[in-house]
Amino acid sequence: MTPRSIDRRRFLRIGGALSVLGAGTPFALQLAASGAASAATASDYKAIVCIFMFGGNDGANMVLATDDDSWGRYFATRNTGFSPIALMPSGIAPTPVGQRSQVTGRTALAGTPESWGGVLPITPSTPQPIPSGTNASARTFGLHPFLAPVKSIFDQGRLAVVANIGALTQPIVKSQYASNSPLLPGSLFSHNDQQSTWQSGLIEGAHVGWGGAMADILLGMNTTNTVFTAISPAGGALFLAGNTVKQYVVNPSQQPATIVTATQAAPLFNSPIAASTVNDLIQDTSSTSNFANDYAGVMTRSIGAAATINNAVSQGPSTTVPMAPNYVNPFTGATQPNPLAMQLQTVAEIIAAAPSLGLRRQVFFVNLGSFDTHDSQNTRQSDLLGQLAQGLAYFDSTLANIGGADLRSSVTTFTTSEFGRTFTSNGDGTDHAWGSHHFVMGGAVKGGNIYGQYPTLGVDQGSFYNPDMVGSVLIPTTSVYQYGATLGTWFGVGPSDLATIFPNLSNFASPTLGFL
Amino acid sequence: MNRLVAGAAIIGLASAPLMASLVTGAAPGPGSQYAAVTPATANDASRFLTQATFGPTDSSIGAVQSSGIPGWISQQEAMAPSQSSVSFLQSRLSALNAANPNVKLKSWDFYDSFWKSSITAPDQLRQRVKLALSEIFVISFSAPGMDPLSVGSYYDTLGTSAFGNYRTLLEQATLHPMMGNYLNMLGSTKADLTTGQHADENFAREIQQLMSIGLYQLNQDGSIQTDANGAPIPTYNISDIQGLAKVFTGFSWYSTITSGKGSVTYYLGQQRDTNWATKSMVAYPAFHSMESKSFLGTTIPASTTPDPTGDLKIALDTIFNHPNVGPFIGKQLIQRLVTSNPSPAYISRVAGVFNNNGAGVRGDLGAVVQAILTDPEARDPNAVSNPTFGKLREPVVRLANWARAFKAKSYTGWWLIGDTSAPDALRQAALNSPTVFNFWRPGYSPPGTALAAQGLVAPEFQVVDEVSVAGYLNVMLDAIGTGIGPHPTNTTVGDVFSTYAAEVAIARDSGKLADRVNLLLLYGQMSSGLRTRIINAVNAIAIPAPPATTAQVSAALTNRAELAVFMATASPEYLAQR
Repeated sequence: MTPRSIDRRRFLRIGGALSVLGAGTPFALQLAASGAASAATASDYKAIVCIFMFGGNDGANMVLATDDDSWGRYFATRNTGFSPIALMPSGIAPTPVGQRSQVTGRTALAGTPESWGGVLPITPSTPQPIPSGTNASARTFGLHPFLAPVKSIFDQGRLAVVANIGALTQPIVKSQYASNSPLLPGSLFSHNDQQSTWQSGLIEGAHVGWGGAMADILLGMNTTNTVFTAISPAGGALFLAGNTVKQYVVNPSQQPATIVTATQAAPLFNSPIAASTVNDLIQDTSSTSNFANDYAGVMTRSIGAAATINNAVSQGPSTTVPMAPNYVNPFTGATQPNPLAMQLQTVAEIIAAAPSLGLRRQVFFVNLGSFDTHDSQNTRQSDLLGQLAQGLAYFDSTLANIGGADLRSSVTTFTTSEFGRTFTSNGDGTDHAWGSHHFVMGGAVKGGNIYGQYPTLGVDQGSFYNPDMVGSVLIPTTSVYQYGATLGTWFGVGPSDLATIFPNLSNFASPTLGFL
Repeated sequence: MNRLVAGAAIIGLASAPLMASLVTGAAPGPGSQYAAVTPATANDASRFLTQATFGPTDSSIGAVQSSGIPGWISQQEAMAPSQSSVSFLQSRLSALNAANPNVKLKSWDFYDSFWKSSITAPDQLRQRVKLALSEIFVISFSAPGMDPLSVGSYYDTLGTSAFGNYRTLLEQATLHPMMGNYLNMLGSTKADLTTGQHADENFAREIQQLMSIGLYQLNQDGSIQTDANGAPIPTYNISDIQGLAKVFTGFSWYSTITSGKGSVTYYLGQQRDTNWATKSMVAYPAFHSMESKSFLGTTIPASTTPDPTGDLKIALDTIFNHPNVGPFIGKQLIQRLVTSNPSPAYISRVAGVFNNNGAGVRGDLGAVVQAILTDPEARDPNAVSNPTFGKLREPVVRLANWARAFKAKSYTGWWLIGDTSAPDALRQAALNSPTVFNFWRPGYSPPGTALAAQGLVAPEFQVVDEVSVAGYLNVMLDAIGTGIGPHPTNTTVGDVFSTYAAEVAIARDSGKLADRVNLLLLYGQMSSGLRTRIINAVNAIAIPAPPATTAQVSAALTNRAELAVFMATASPEYLAQR
């Protein structure tokens, strides 16, 4: 009838093609029938908070291998171009701006790595295995120098690194990538498609995300106010869309719901009946237009829940949540809001209000952009990582004391991003690639450790052959599905439901990663 | 001349009304093939203008009725571009600097220029298509380094070329310094084979994915071509991107220098011309790749002399001649102006005009726009009751609808509406989308809706959420009641406001008032339910009897007008344009 049916067929065909190959069906198509195996009777409160780093974060400059062998190839590859993006080795003090760096021989500027000092060493509690191609007897690691607050939480055991994750429906080896195997996920390197794939398992056009699918399973644990089960202060997010569950979008760092002033008390335009008439009108779904009625449906959700959520966070423990801190731009010195911390403030307030709302399971989605650092990566990514670190530290300390209660063990926060970036530089930045590293934080996290295999670094050159990279693209060795399944298991989703939500999970030797 | 030929070809298409009826399921009515030629009624003209402009007005409805739709389109396309953002911004800067010589232009100064031209410019078709093009050839203030005057120049370029050839527009967008800054072609440099440093791939990817051919091979009707396994056939892969990335090296800020162009500091802008903001980027050959460049089936052989402009021509010609461009660009322009889910036949007709405007010319955007707006599917009178036809009106277009319909004015003349992109405002401002993927994707299907259940898309729903639906109503309430934008001296009113003179004049008769709002905002399709609600709510505003003062009576009549307008703009049936 319309071109839409063609698009739909396209997705079904993709799903169909994959299922022939054992890769399963799109997320959560049959979830309505399941749920029995999940922990829908527990009385505890749990929330998962997804931080999406939009644009594709360069994980290679966030978590680094610092052993001589890895570092040598890293530094040679990235210490190039108009504006080299290689970070300084662990243990190197910051070179004062204007002075010559002993490491690079260049004059340090505020916006160049020389002035930031070396990467911050972290020591995983379990030694990382040495991957094929890496010529080192032991692997050591570091974090970007702007991640000091993250190092602190890692060292205290509440934050873990998960290495080399990517969109992956089954394990892929280098030869399969090189031969453009049909087992590769669709539309790799495309922002919108990989954002969709990370959140839903399918390229753009998907309708159900895995946060929403988990919320579908656990919805029965929320006795009242189920409208607040899946919440985003970051606009609409596919991640939160369930089959049953619909996300509720709130404002960051102010009262969560925006009130429609026209429906409130005072006579609107001096008409005694206008406010109530408008209230009915804007929720009217009797149009002959689907567009009109679907819009009115969102309006109804907005109006119906606004007062409840605003009242809930204006009293009780929510009022003890401290204001999100401002962020000082390390390059300009300007004080500015931290958009991530602002969103996390709202999340914390809603978590604090959850008992009064009758909620025991919640899924949140927050974001931070724009990590698409094709240009000016030194200043842009560092600035964003500084905001990420400040936001995580704020959230960690806030959850430690919600009206006197420590909720850190009830809330697990994790990072996501559509892809990693090229290991090589384009002169002052990096381009779209695939695998990348991520953080998981919370009191329930078995922190201070690195999960998954941190890969061999370096582009094939001469006799050096890297099984983990094709060209400058890192092939992921851990799937988003395993990442999600680990979170889901902790959250209370049973194995059979996880298998439905992540239909390709059985393609991986270990369905969960052990960080929770 | 070409456009008239193209328009005639579309209108003369014998089977066109039949195609439309197949799509909508309605039988072709007698004489329906004339619907595209002359709108019989003011309502028809208003509906057309809802698609083709920032909103109908009394005078534009009259103009369309007297010229007919094809005639009006031809007049509009022949009209010179008016009210450049650059001239607005230069005047604004002079005015600002008269008060404080250190003040620089800000993004909101550009937004104000957008509001002024969108609301008041006579070349409305060009203004509306310009916004549509800005959502395909996306740049955004959300990125660092976006200069307001230069962004204004970019927006002007989209308008100037809106009815020209797509190939020209593609090159102008490619070489504009704000596109260069936004997608990092500006200052991109050739590979360093010793370190593995590669050419920046950003523009090479997005010009293909978003501005020309898209991800998958398309048929002329927009459907996706599939291989023997049923998998979509990609248009390009990573090696095509890497090949094109080499082409897009060696371009940077406009400069008139002739020597020293091999200097890195010059390349990065040290010797840029004082007019850099409004001038296309130029080649710096020393930074251009001389490697072999393969993309989309074309190979530029390795050379010993860098030829940035020659390579660029080959690359843009190759992209331009890809068969995907017609359906890819044509469908998105249909979605921006007319309907979210055009039939394959509609897309095919529009793509056919892109491929050949009737005079053998490929890429004639003026002919494409005419084909979109005169297509039987766009003009089908039964569409107004079709549940799935049409689209959600864009938030910024809604605000402009109000301002135009009710003859809003700006106290200051600067149209100080500013940035409307806050989540609890309109979640949209021209050239301020969150990413190069625009505010919404052409394939966005809102989860959990009746539209999604039918496999339909509704791109503009990507900015519809619990916060923004409330924010929109609050913005409109303010705009309609007190005006919008900071008034320089009076904090209780807005800079942009309407006095509703025509509406106040009839406000004693609530039926007439509803009818007028119906014509201007709902092209005569207001439901009886909405009409009853407006009449009842308006009638509840008493008009004071003598000895009330004139001011008291006037206040009541103004309240009546404002309430009627607000209720119409708040109604779901207004938000769905059909």
